[in-house]
Amino acid sequence: MGGVDVELIGIKEMSDSQLSDFLKNNSISLSIFEARKVVELIGRNPTLTELYIFNIQWSEHSSYKSSRSVLKALLPTNAPNVILGPVEDSGIVELGYVNGERYGIVVSHESHNHPSQVVPYEGAATGVGGIIRDVLCMGAKVIAIADPLRFGNPNGKNKNKVKYIANEVINGIAGYGDAVGIPNICGDVYFNSSFDENCLVNVVCLGVVKEKDIIHSYAPQNAEGYDIIIVGKATDNSGFGGAAFASLILDEKDRESNRGAVQVPDPFLKNVIIRASYAVFEEARKQNITLGFKDMGAGGIMCSTSELCSDANFGADIDLSKVNVSMSNLPPYIIANSETQERFTWICPPEFTKTLLKIYNQDFELPNISLGAGAFMIGKVTAQQDYILKHEGKVVCNVPTKVVTQGIKYEREKKAPKRKFEEPNLKEPKDYNNALLSVLRHPNVASKAKAFRHYDTSVMGNAVIESGYADAGVIRAVDNSPLGIALKSDCNPRYCRIDPYWGAVNAVAESMRNVAAVGAIPSALTDCLNYGNPEKPEAFYDFYEGVRGIADAAKNLCYKGTKYPVPVISGNVSFYNESASGNAVDPSPIVACIGVLRDYSKAITMKVKKENSALFMIGDRKDELGGSVYYDVNEEMGAIVPIIDFDKERNNIYAIIDAITAGLLLSCHDISDGGLTATISEMLLGGNADGAVGAEINLDFTDLRADKALFSETPGFVFEVEDKNLEKLNTMFKFYKIPLIKLGKTKGKSLIITKSGKKIIEVPIEKLKEAWTTGFVEALE
Amino acid sequence: MPTKKPSIAVIYFPGNNCEEESLKAVLASGMDGQIVRWNQRKGVEKYDGYVIPGGWGYEDRIRAGVIMAKDPIFDIIKKEAEKGKLVLGICNGAQALVECGMIPGLKNKVEMALAPNKNPLISGYYCTWVNIRSEQEKNRCVFTKFTEKDEVIPVPIAHGEGRYTTKDSELISKLVKNNQIVFRYSTKEGKVEDSFPTNPNGAMHNIAAICNKKGNVMAMMPHPERASFVRQLPDTTELKNKSAGRINEFESAAPAKAIFDSMKKYVEEEIL
Repeated sequence: MGGVDVELIGIKEMSDSQLSDFLKNNSISLSIFEARKVVELIGRNPTLTELYIFNIQWSEHSSYKSSRSVLKALLPTNAPNVILGPVEDSGIVELGYVNGERYGIVVSHESHNHPSQVVPYEGAATGVGGIIRDVLCMGAKVIAIADPLRFGNPNGKNKNKVKYIANEVINGIAGYGDAVGIPNICGDVYFNSSFDENCLVNVVCLGVVKEKDIIHSYAPQNAEGYDIIIVGKATDNSGFGGAAFASLILDEKDRESNRGAVQVPDPFLKNVIIRASYAVFEEARKQNITLGFKDMGAGGIMCSTSELCSDANFGADIDLSKVNVSMSNLPPYIIANSETQERFTWICPPEFTKTLLKIYNQDFELPNISLGAGAFMIGKVTAQQDYILKHEGKVVCNVPTKVVTQGIKYEREKKAPKRKFEEPNLKEPKDYNNALLSVLRHPNVASKAKAFRHYDTSVMGNAVIESGYADAGVIRAVDNSPLGIALKSDCNPRYCRIDPYWGAVNAVAESMRNVAAVGAIPSALTDCLNYGNPEKPEAFYDFYEGVRGIADAAKNLCYKGTKYPVPVISGNVSFYNESASGNAVDPSPIVACIGVLRDYSKAITMKVKKENSALFMIGDRKDELGGSVYYDVNEEMGAIVPIIDFDKERNNIYAIIDAITAGLLLSCHDISDGGLTATISEMLLGGNADGAVGAEINLDFTDLRADKALFSETPGFVFEVEDKNLEKLNTMFKFYKIPLIKLGKTKGKSLIITKSGKKIIEVPIEKLKEAWTTGFVEALE
Repeated sequence: MPTKKPSIAVIYFPGNNCEEESLKAVLASGMDGQIVRWNQRKGVEKYDGYVIPGGWGYEDRIRAGVIMAKDPIFDIIKKEAEKGKLVLGICNGAQALVECGMIPGLKNKVEMALAPNKNPLISGYYCTWVNIRSEQEKNRCVFTKFTEKDEVIPVPIAHGEGRYTTKDSELISKLVKNNQIVFRYSTKEGKVEDSFPTNPNGAMHNIAAICNKKGNVMAMMPHPERASFVRQLPDTTELKNKSAGRINEFESAAPAKAIFDSMKKYVEEEIL
């Protein structure tokens, strides 16, 4: 093993209790077993820098040590449309061909849960910042972001803190995304008490890139002697240990010390770095230069440089004294591992280095944009596969590169927890109008305009359907091409609490339905798996079941026109989402579906377009209200969640896509939170809540008790059709063997629902609007 | 007809983020154009006009648009504007034009402010679709050569500080008298109502855009470059809904593009 010039930590000589004290005193989260494993792997005692490196590399966040084997065994990641699976910073799925060239959609999906709970504005903002870097570093143009959010109960015992966190998280997402200028195209928000002490802040980011222009997160071939260049903000001590922090259980009493592990966002600097990086892409393509490019996220310089070199079977020789720092006397292990934001690493052939440095430092004047910022050459790629860090002339780390990056793996035990859920014995409501209005007012159903109007939804000028107007956001992907991209994220935490497997299946199915409801073909999935402590067999069971559910749904709801799965191309695992008191969040496998539209002018929104058109439904109503909003309003949980029949679900999705592509539907909305009546109400109101056409609906198509039929969240679609298109529609749905259920027609100024000749609901649109537009606002106030 | 196409510089100050779509709208109107960085001052005087795009120039430090207005490139733009060249400031660009005194430009000093929005729903940054009504007779300014008086145009706003205001109690009536108010927030039907959401930010007199006395410089808070193509419109507009399914119609001009078309006409008639 390679030699070093600094003091070694005598781990070999320490007793277990001495070692335990040493680790604790130095805020190192490695277990005693892991610390001794470091000694075994490198064949000597480590330096402090080396020990901190393993502390980060072997954190759950960086190594996926608990989840890796499950993900690998279960998730389908291959399909003919996959350009790059989940192996680098982002996955890439085919968008289509423009002028004979294949384009890819670059997708990344991450969580920033722990930081957002501790310092919500900064935590959420840096979450957006990090995900943008992951997409940019593939050589892509960054085109959209989305944010699935989970907050605690806004009316519960922690309501003040919940509201504070929710508002600050929304402000943080806005503050960052608005400033860099990436449109926020969709999101979803759920509130419930399981998130009181652990909010979930996930972020999804999309980019677009020509297949031949992809830049990889590894050094190019023959890169020996290439320069290692870092670019961005001057390194400080912020976020030191962030990856390890993300893998801890949050304890309120450590709040102050945890704050230091959260990074500081600088969207202003990022705005300029993004544009400068586009200029580097352009110049490198012009000169036919192959580069390696990687985001600096968890583990900072160390993680980024070691992975760039390791994945291409090289080593690195880096001088940490050349790193631009903004604090004096930083020890080498902080310079190497700090998670200062807004930084990247390039692997660059020496002949291009001057050009690259000029673009960042002179053309875009990074040093004048932020104190100490800029691009700096800090080392060389070496043929010898050792990862060498020097500081002030001394070698502080000298470990085989593969040993730095190989990670560590555990097979965790799983055990089904005892779940006791029962179906309630609810009395039929006397006043259905009130029942409907209380469902519409529920913050999980109500319009999220107060959040998404705080985000820039139209910047870049490519939005076709902005956030809130339809089940999915739609953007134009490439200039002068009709190709469009649809995106939506989903996961109902209450379903997952009752049943972690069917909850995950529903998350996948709903995200696909949402994308189909605008007419897009579900083409890829990402998942961010948010769970409790994986060392607890019950929590690990929930995780396992969630992954199994995603996998089964992805495999069975095939990529349209093939027997291939809708591939999972990117994802992230976030464990330890529990508080010191042991309260874990509801299992939350948050899934985002990326849809492709061959022609975005065919995309439709949920808003009813005309009077006297017919309203139809597919997906019969079933008595499966477990976890539903209706039960929640009645303070019940229930036990029976929607069960997905894969064959029917697949056909429903395909039929809707075909009908929209053929131009047969005027509007379409999937049935989910709040059930059928919420779906119809939202269609009448539209995303801008300014609808003026009512509807007359007849409930006689079902034998279910009226409240179950109205509020069951069994999957399905409601859509608006003009009479002249009915025949064509019938033929199309017959092909898929799907019964069309006629609900009624658009008419008048109220929503009227009758059953057996009797009006059970009659609510003017203005009242629907009042309920739907206030629920979420109240939750945040 | 001049053989040379009008050529427009879209100025990117560090932190701006609407330069690309602004350039696209310029190009779609048949002009030439380029994104010019704040530090590329050499030769910038050769352009026929300037667009100062939206975003957060210089991070909106101190106050939105203040530092941009003090950037040396602004001196060049000011000088060229005095010669009659056009300047369109959109959103953050509008804030900069007000901060440098070019708008309303009556006293060669700062006369107005774009103050934080007053909005009962969301404090701070607010992004939504609104309607603006053209207040001027055709040809009154460089930007409305294709817009009829009282015509209503759907556009998005996306700002936190967009409330036109002034301490000068006579300024608004002067602006009205000078016919410098180009667009005001209105309902879809063209009714100017002072209340939210018609007036989305509490702007005095519902002002959405003001030009200088000469009419060659305009500060506009809404984003015409995000409303220049049918595709960009929301489903609350008839135009978008009736174009559904036809990509060529989706890519055709939406009402706000008239502003860029008008710029082209002006340069062709007066500058080239």
